[in-house]
Amino acid sequence: MITYVIRRLVLMVPTLLGITALVFFVMAYSPGGVGGPAMDQQENIKGQEAKRIREYYNRRYGLDKPPIVQYGRWLNQISPVGFVPDEKGELGKFGFKWPNLGESLVRHRPVTQLIAESLPITVLLNAVSIPFVYTIGIVSGILAARFRGKWFDVTTGSLFLSLWSMPTIWVGVMLIGFLANASYLKWFPTAGLHDILADSMPFLPRFTDAGWERGWLLDTMWHLVLPVVCMSYGGFAYLSKLTRGSMLDNLNADFVRTARAKGVSEGTILFRHVFRNSVLALITVAASIVPALLGGSVVIETIFSIPGMGRLSVEAVQYRDRELILATTLIGGMIGLLSDILRDVWYAAADPRVSYE
Amino acid sequence: MSEAIEASSAAVSLPLSSLSQNPSRGFAARIIGDALSRWGARLGLAWISLLVFAAVFAPLIANSHPILLKRQGEVSSPLLRHLTPTDAFLPLMSAVLCVTLALRTLAWKRRFVVLAVVAVIAWPLCLVAFKPPQTVVYDQYREATAQGQVEWALYTPIRFSPSDRMRDQPEARLGAPNSEHLMGTDIDGSDIASRMIYACRIALSIGFISTGIATIIGVIVGSVLGFFSGWVDMIGMRIVEIFSAIPTLFLLLAFVAFFGRNLYLMMVIIGLTGWVGDAVFVRAEFLRLRQQDFVQAAHACGLPLWSILFRHMLPNGITPVLINVSFGVAGAILAESVLSFLGLGLVDEPSWGALLSQALGAGGTFYWWIAVFPGAAIFLTVFAYNLIGEALRDVIDPRAERSATA
Repeated sequence: MITYVIRRLVLMVPTLLGITALVFFVMAYSPGGVGGPAMDQQENIKGQEAKRIREYYNRRYGLDKPPIVQYGRWLNQISPVGFVPDEKGELGKFGFKWPNLGESLVRHRPVTQLIAESLPITVLLNAVSIPFVYTIGIVSGILAARFRGKWFDVTTGSLFLSLWSMPTIWVGVMLIGFLANASYLKWFPTAGLHDILADSMPFLPRFTDAGWERGWLLDTMWHLVLPVVCMSYGGFAYLSKLTRGSMLDNLNADFVRTARAKGVSEGTILFRHVFRNSVLALITVAASIVPALLGGSVVIETIFSIPGMGRLSVEAVQYRDRELILATTLIGGMIGLLSDILRDVWYAAADPRVSYE
Repeated sequence: MSEAIEASSAAVSLPLSSLSQNPSRGFAARIIGDALSRWGARLGLAWISLLVFAAVFAPLIANSHPILLKRQGEVSSPLLRHLTPTDAFLPLMSAVLCVTLALRTLAWKRRFVVLAVVAVIAWPLCLVAFKPPQTVVYDQYREATAQGQVEWALYTPIRFSPSDRMRDQPEARLGAPNSEHLMGTDIDGSDIASRMIYACRIALSIGFISTGIATIIGVIVGSVLGFFSGWVDMIGMRIVEIFSAIPTLFLLLAFVAFFGRNLYLMMVIIGLTGWVGDAVFVRAEFLRLRQQDFVQAAHACGLPLWSILFRHMLPNGITPVLINVSFGVAGAILAESVLSFLGLGLVDEPSWGALLSQALGAGGTFYWWIAVFPGAAIFLTVFAYNLIGEALRDVIDPRAERSATA
């Protein structure tokens, strides 16, 4: 098992190289060039000064070198083993060093810092949504399989297909418009993840002389309601249909008939015998849902102005911030590939018949 | 060709009942016919036909230019005068399509040839024949009517062009639906109903062309990987892994941001990012098919590689790709609307996603009519394609009802 995981981890390296190379060369050969807006800001500066700034950028990021050399420089920069750069940016001796994701071209801050700020927010969003998606999807799938062809099955089937077809941008706009708007229902906040005053709030809700204070935790949860709804509704359909399909496959199996003949109760058959055999199909999807949710957070974080990874990458793309785009691609790709490996390991753990030796 | 199609019915395990229904029809025709007998697919198809109708006859449904106008004793047709080559080309081609479909004896290959020939001849003719003026003054008819110069005029059902910004009526901006503007007006004062009708063109063309590109790439890559396997497969699957590891939307954003806004580029980009699913599917299918006797026989006959791949194996493995095509069109339409919503879409072209992005105004105002109508159009279109996809899946793989191969 361990050799298998190590082999998969090693195989990740060429794939990650491919992913970053794809994005890098798309940027390098695009008509606008890298960091366009950042450099265009300098237009109103006198020629001499603009030239100096351009030279600085060129030296700092090697933008005047051919793309393949630039990509090599970037790889050297992020690799833990390579040429250690000295203060002038020239490459020094070969050895171990600390990987460096570089500095944002537009915000002039280390990329690592920017990602360290926004990744937890996206992870939080996903950590709240995934249990929702799975609970509702699996339970309704089991029930739909149990009552196959009855009204519950038919209703959830068509309801979830229509939910799945609803574009997130529409649902997001409608939720904000009708549920977070002074002229309709002002139930939820419009944007962001915290109130402006959240930093001064106590963590838990409490009663004081001034009345009831909702506290940091409740405030965050209140802000999370709409984004989480937006993020999770589409997943129900997929998971529910999948659970239903694999449950039905097993409900007709011989071991279920045997269990029924033995007099095992229907609930035990459903959850202990059939569901546990149907779980493999769910594991297969679990891996593909993680990158999908990361992609979905792009739209949701933009609509709800949540400063997470999705919004960071949209902004990076809009400003053509090369270092930031490459870093978000690298991290997104790593998460996707790691969840693939996790799936296969999990698969072997769930089903003793699966072995990678 | 027909032997290959017959063999395919054995390849995909169909229940005997559906095989014996009408053996004279081809496999693909049978699948499509069976799928269309389901009410979900019918509803979906009805909605898409409505969209196609709106896209083809858009200038006759919504136009600021009157069809006929009598002004100062002169009868003229401003609508005809302002038709663009596309406006004329689309009805012409759909008429030719209808005629070829009506001639039932015509083979599909012939129909494609006829359509292609007519298109190649008609497009330059349309370019020559229809040259709308560079500057269009939409206010002239309203002004002339107000001044009493117009004796009579015959208008289209919706009396506004999509880019008619109502410059003479600044107060018409962001107006709620009323008897004049059935779906209200947007931030520039253009009529939303009119913009939505013209947006069908972009939605439909993006859907079809980008999915076409994705399917062609996916089928070619998948068949090569599946047929050769070995180290070709090893390298190819890494490429597939690269594309599937990046969230498609992110890749799309990066491509569009760096290569500018252009309808055709957008189609190509959506196509280039969407082929992975087809490739994986066709590869699996080909891995299975290459063991079968008819492929060995084709080999033994000394047929060239392209013939084995695309004339013998492909017809056996292609029909299930129809499911992917249907879901792919939905995905492409969704992708376009998200890009337009994020402000990376086409400039000045009517698009459902771009309209939707105007619904939340600055300062927390919400224009419900800008959110409800375009959003519903995206939803219904995506839903229609998903319904068709579901029906196709149920027909092609009856086991999908019970199995987990979703």
